[in-house]
Amino acid sequence: MKFFLNTGRTIKQGSFVERKNSPAYLEEASTLRMNPVDMMDLMVEDGDHVSVRSGVGEVVMRVRPNPGLARGRTFVCLGPYANHIVSPETHGTGMPDFKATMVIIEPTGNPVSSVAALMGSCGGVPYED
Amino acid sequence: MKIEDVVCPFCGCLCDDLVVQVEGNRVVNVENGCTLANEKFMGDHRLETPIRRSGKKWERISYDEAIAETAGILLDADRPLLYGWSGTYGEAQTIGVHLAEVLGAVIDNTSTVCHGPSIMAIQEVGHPGCTLGQIKNRADVVIYWAANPIEAHPRHMSRYTTFADGFFVKNAFRERKVIVVDVRETDSSQIADEFVKVNPGGDYAILSALRAIVRGKRDIIPPNVEGVSREQLFRVAEICMAAKFGAIFFGVGLTMASGKYKNIRNAIELTEELNRHTKFTISPMRGHWNVYGSNEVFTWITGYPYAVDFARGIAFYNPGETTSVDILRRGECDACLVVASDPGAHFPRACAEHLARIPTIQIDPHVNATTHLSQIQIPVAVTGIDAEGTAYRMDGVPLRTRKLFQGSHPDDLEVLEKIYAIVREAKG
Ligand code: SF4
Repeated sequence: MKFFLNTGRTIKQGSFVERKNSPAYLEEASTLRMNPVDMMDLMVEDGDHVSVRSGVGEVVMRVRPNPGLARGRTFVCLGPYANHIVSPETHGTGMPDFKATMVIIEPTGNPVSSVAALMGSCGGVPYED
Repeated sequence: MKIEDVVCPFCGCLCDDLVVQVEGNRVVNVENGCTLANEKFMGDHRLETPIRRSGKKWERISYDEAIAETAGILLDADRPLLYGWSGTYGEAQTIGVHLAEVLGAVIDNTSTVCHGPSIMAIQEVGHPGCTLGQIKNRADVVIYWAANPIEAHPRHMSRYTTFADGFFVKNAFRERKVIVVDVRETDSSQIADEFVKVNPGGDYAILSALRAIVRGKRDIIPPNVEGVSREQLFRVAEICMAAKFGAIFFGVGLTMASGKYKNIRNAIELTEELNRHTKFTISPMRGHWNVYGSNEVFTWITGYPYAVDFARGIAFYNPGETTSVDILRRGECDACLVVASDPGAHFPRACAEHLARIPTIQIDPHVNATTHLSQIQIPVAVTGIDAEGTAYRMDGVPLRTRKLFQGSHPDDLEVLEKIYAIVREAKG
């Protein structure tokens, strides 16, 4: 199914922003909020993994219901998971479309990567502290 | 030891009323801070020593080695990028700009991915702003547009708006009207007197409609504008025009949405329109602590607030060309020094991939996403906790932060000055 992906700050993201290797940060940054009716349509439940694919990439996140979101809209806090699928195009402004990515979301059995592994997939070398 | 009037080093509010209790070289208690402040002060998970990537492994190295190697990488590069700067203080930012100049580098700060577009709009049409104190004491209408202060700036409402009584607004909660405009419901929208829920990407149209209404052109407004009813738009315009003093705060929901800086320009022009009827101001909700200071420091030295390119030997600024995301996405820079920020987490993946390809050096107290992409990381003292310096609040008021204890890490300024000295000597 096709969705609109928005990003932004959350208290939890801010609280763990200096501990990006921590399980709490991983959980917050990789949680995709979605309208519960859309979740029924997708046949996924709270905590299930979904593949989120845009024109520039794909990332696995876990889904959580959020009735405050309209149908067809999803929200992830800003961070490495959301940015894995955000296009670097800035339309000559320097600013990517962080809040306006069209994505295709499907259930998946694949695991959610750690931040270190995600950066490893970008060519980095994971540092475990 | 209890230390009073401590400045919080987390968000752009720079709350300066914290009471921090220190034992030895640890913070053991924080009063008055929000959750984010508590986590920041009490956090105890710093990188101990400089680290270097060698092949697929990481090794510890000394500060002298890390500093010498960093200077060598920057000197070898043809087009280095010096990025970040929001989490550090003005004195360190100043050395950063001088370092960029001797290297012929590009220096950019995090406003490139937050309020850069706001600055571009301000360069076009000006900034009718004011200090937060004015708003606290005078504003009877406050608009949060595409911002969620409860999660991003948790004490903004209690220190300056909704819950803060002021000189002319004795009972803020009753006397101040709060309007929230956003594409989704948030904790902030829940406490608004009026919540305007707009379609994603619809802000420009809503701003234009409000401008038309304030101009007296109600008859041209269609029944529904980007998901908002005409009646609600009339109501919002009336609240604004009836205000004695109105204040608009806008977040990155406006700068990142389609339209980018044109959204902000439209918002500033709405503010101008409202000033024909009453007093109205507009201010960006600057997010990352001293990001405003990085704009100030860059501007007073180079004339430009961010994305400054010294490749020509003079300062050159052209967002879209000299901005970090564009330089990285084009694979243009051949070395990157990251100071006090985390582009690995906050830039699109294509940029992270380029950071991993080139020698990237990070100066930061903590392990973050950029660590994994770096060649070298140099840990430093945390500004506002064990390093002191000047930072700017979101409304442009400079505040001096305190050093609460003597830690074991050098601070940003010390490390940058050493790198600068080596580069300066090599450049002659
Ligand atoms: S609102 Fe911002 S500056 Fe104030 S205590 Fe919270 S994080 Fe710190």
